[in-house]
Amino acid sequence: MTLAYFLALAFALAYGITTAMNHKASHVLLPLLDVLQSVPVLGFLPVVFIFFVTNLPVQVGQEFASIILIFTAMVWAPTFGVIAGVNAIPQDIKEASRAYGVKGLSYLRQIVLPAVFPELVWSSLLAWGGGWYLIPIEEVFSFPGHPLPPLPGLGYYIAAAASNRDLPLSLLALAVLVLIILAIDELVWKPLGARAEKYKYESVAAPQGPGQRRGRISTNVKKYEERLVSPIFSFLKYERASLSSLLEAVHLKRRFHVPEKIRVQERTVRHALWGRIISFAIALTLILVSIPALRGIPPDSLGNALQVIETNVGYGTIAFDAAGSLLRIFTAYVIALGWTLGAGILISRSERASKLLVPVFDIGQSIPATALFPIIILLIVNPFKENTVALNLASILLLLAGMQWYLLFNVVGAIRGLPTDLLEASSAYGIRGRRFVKEILVPASYPAILIGSIQAWGGGWNATIVSEYITDPNNLSMPHTVPGLGSLLQMASNYSDPYASAVVITAAVLVMTGTVLTINRLVWRRLLRKAEKYKLEA
Amino acid sequence: MSDSTEPILEIKNLTKTYFNEGKSITVLDNISFQVPKEFLAIVGPSGCGKSTMLRIIDGLDTPTSGEVLFHGQPVTAPISKIGVIFQSFALIPWKTVLGNVEMALAMTSISKDEQLKVAKKYIQDVGLEGFETSYPKELSGGMKQRVGIARALALQPEVLLMDEPFSSLDALTAETLRREVLDIWTDQAYPTNAVIMVTHNVQEAVYMADRVLVLSGRPAKIVDDVAISLPRPRSQRDPTLYDYTDRIVSKIS
Repeated sequence: MTLAYFLALAFALAYGITTAMNHKASHVLLPLLDVLQSVPVLGFLPVVFIFFVTNLPVQVGQEFASIILIFTAMVWAPTFGVIAGVNAIPQDIKEASRAYGVKGLSYLRQIVLPAVFPELVWSSLLAWGGGWYLIPIEEVFSFPGHPLPPLPGLGYYIAAAASNRDLPLSLLALAVLVLIILAIDELVWKPLGARAEKYKYESVAAPQGPGQRRGRISTNVKKYEERLVSPIFSFLKYERASLSSLLEAVHLKRRFHVPEKIRVQERTVRHALWGRIISFAIALTLILVSIPALRGIPPDSLGNALQVIETNVGYGTIAFDAAGSLLRIFTAYVIALGWTLGAGILISRSERASKLLVPVFDIGQSIPATALFPIIILLIVNPFKENTVALNLASILLLLAGMQWYLLFNVVGAIRGLPTDLLEASSAYGIRGRRFVKEILVPASYPAILIGSIQAWGGGWNATIVSEYITDPNNLSMPHTVPGLGSLLQMASNYSDPYASAVVITAAVLVMTGTVLTINRLVWRRLLRKAEKYKLEA
Repeated sequence: MSDSTEPILEIKNLTKTYFNEGKSITVLDNISFQVPKEFLAIVGPSGCGKSTMLRIIDGLDTPTSGEVLFHGQPVTAPISKIGVIFQSFALIPWKTVLGNVEMALAMTSISKDEQLKVAKKYIQDVGLEGFETSYPKELSGGMKQRVGIARALALQPEVLLMDEPFSSLDALTAETLRREVLDIWTDQAYPTNAVIMVTHNVQEAVYMADRVLVLSGRPAKIVDDVAISLPRPRSQRDPTLYDYTDRIVSKIS
C-alpha cells in the first residue's frame, strides 16, 4: 500500500504539474484524466486480477495486481489536488517570481512545490482512506474459477478468523487495524497538516478554532465531502456542483443582471458534466467493441449484446436486482438518517454528550467499512444458516457502514457551525426545547443533511458492489449473496466467457447509473432547490 | 411609570473570568452601576468585554460572580421585558421578515392572532411595510437591522439592549437609523424606559446617550461616567459634542 501510495504521489506530481503549467498539454491531459478517472475500480477488480495472475507467477502477480488497484484508487485525488494547488498560486506571486528571475527548477522548488503541499497532504489523506477501503477486499480476493491464496495482511486475518468462527481473534485483528490507522493519522497526517498551514496562501488570518475537537470534526466533514471511493460516482459530485451553480444563476438572473463571470462559470460546470457523460459513453463503447474484436467476434452488435444479457441473466432479473439494491440502500439510509440526526441534536445540546460521543465517532469512522464485513457475516449470517432475512439484514448493515458517516459528519458539522449570533438571538427571544430543534436546528442543518444524503447514497451504491456478494476465504465456492446490482456485477465478472462478462457488467453499470441519475433528478434536484432558502449567509 | 431616578436595572459587582487550559483570563472586573430611565452608552476599547457584559445583562451569559437585578429581581435567563438588537442582525435566514418578528412574540402570553397583529404593526413602524414576506437575504443591511429593531420593539420591552447596532452598516444608513432609534426612544408611545447601547464609536455614544460609561481595557473597569447634558434633538455639529468626545477618547487611550 505504501508502495502504491508513492507511485500515486509521483504520478500525481508529474501529471498534475505538467497539466497545470503547460497550457497546451492541459487540453489533452485534463480530459484524459477525466476519462481515466471514470473507470469504476471495483468493477474491474476481477479483470485486473486475472490478467496479472495468469501472466506472472501467482504470488507476484497477485501482489502486483493489488498494488496497481490500490494505485488506481489512490491516484486521482492527489492529481486533482496538485492541479488545484498550482492553479491557486496567486497572480502577484507569479509576477513577483518572474520579476526576480525565479524560473525553471528553482521556480518549481521554491514556488510550485510549496504551493501544492497543502493540497497534497489533504488529498493523500483521502487517498489513504480509499486505500484502506480496498485492502480488506483485495487480500481475500478470489474467484471460483481461479482459487487464489489470500495475501497475508490484516484484512485477511479478520476474514479468516471470522470464517473460523473465532470472534475474539477477528475483533482483535480489527482493533489492530484501527490502531494502525489512527496511529498513522496521528503520526503522519496531523504533523504534515500542521506544516501545510504554513504554505497556504491566505489574505486573512484564519480564526483559531476553540480547540482540537472542532478541528477534527471539520476535517472529517471535509473528508467525507470529498471521499469518493469508486470514481464512477464522482458523477454525483459534478451533478451537484452544476446544479447549485445553475440554481444560483437562475436565482440571480431573476433579480439582477447576471454578471458575465457567473455565466461563464455555469457554462464550464455544465461542460464538465457533459464531458463526464461523453467520456463515460466512450469508455463503455470501447469495452463493448474492443473485447469482441479481440476475441474475433464481429462487433455487430447491440442485438448480440442484448442476446447475451437475455441468456445470461434476463431483463426481469436486472430489474429485480435494481429494486433489491434500491430498497436496501433506502432502508440503510433511513436508519442512518435517524440515528445521525439524533446524535447531532444530542451533541449540540449537551457538552458532555459531545465530549463522550465525538471521540467514539472518530474511531468509528476510521474503521474501513470493508473490514467489518467478515465480522458482520459471522455475527448475523452464520448463526441463522444463510436465512434470507439475515442475509438481507447483513447486507443493509454493510451498506450502513458505508453510508452513515457521510450523514453524521455533515449533520454534526452543520450543527456545530451554527453562527453564535443565531444561537444567541434564539435564546434571547426564548426559543428553546422542541421549538429550537424544529425551528432552528433542523432547518439550519437542512442543506448539510441534503449534501450528506446525496453523498451517502453515492457511497451506498458504491458499497452495493462489496456488500451484496461476500467471499468466504475458507469456502470459496459458497459466497454469501443477496440479489442486487452489486452481486450481479460480481457474478458477471466470474463468467467464463469474458464477452458475456463485459456485456453484463456494462448493462449492470448502465442500469445503476440510470437509477442514480433518475433519483438525482426526481429527488435531490427538487430538494436542493428548496434548500437554497436554508443557506446561512457567509 | 416609575420615578425617573429609581433604577430599573442594577448591575452589582459583576466579574467574568474565563478558564482556558489552566489559564484564567478576567474580562470584567467587579463592575457595578445602575440604570434608571435613561439612554446609557457603554464605550471602551475593542475586546474589553463590553459585549460580554451586555450578554450577561440579558441573561445570555452567566457572570463568574455578581448579579444583575431587574426591578430587584435577579436576571438569570432572557426575559420578555428586555429586548436585544445584535450587531450582526441575527435574523433567521429561513424565516420571513414577519416570521423573524413573530418568533420573539412567543415569549409573551398573547394569542396567535394578537402576535400577528403586533408583529405587523412594528414592521410598519420601522418602515418595512410590504416586506413582510421577504427573506432576510433579499434585504439590504439597513433593512435587516430594521427587522432586528422591530423584533426587539415588538416585545414592548422596558429595557432595550443594543450591541454595536450600527457598526455593520454603511455610514449613511447608520446615520438614518440612529435618528430613527432616537425618535422611537423619545416617542412616549413606546414603553421602553432604558436603553443600553454598547459601542466603540465615541461620537455615536455622545450623540445618542444621556450618560456614557467608559471602560478600560482588559480586565474592564469603569474609568469614567460622563453625563451628556445636552437637550434633544441634538445636532451632530454641536461643538459641545466634540468636547465630550475628546474627554472620553483621552480616557480610553
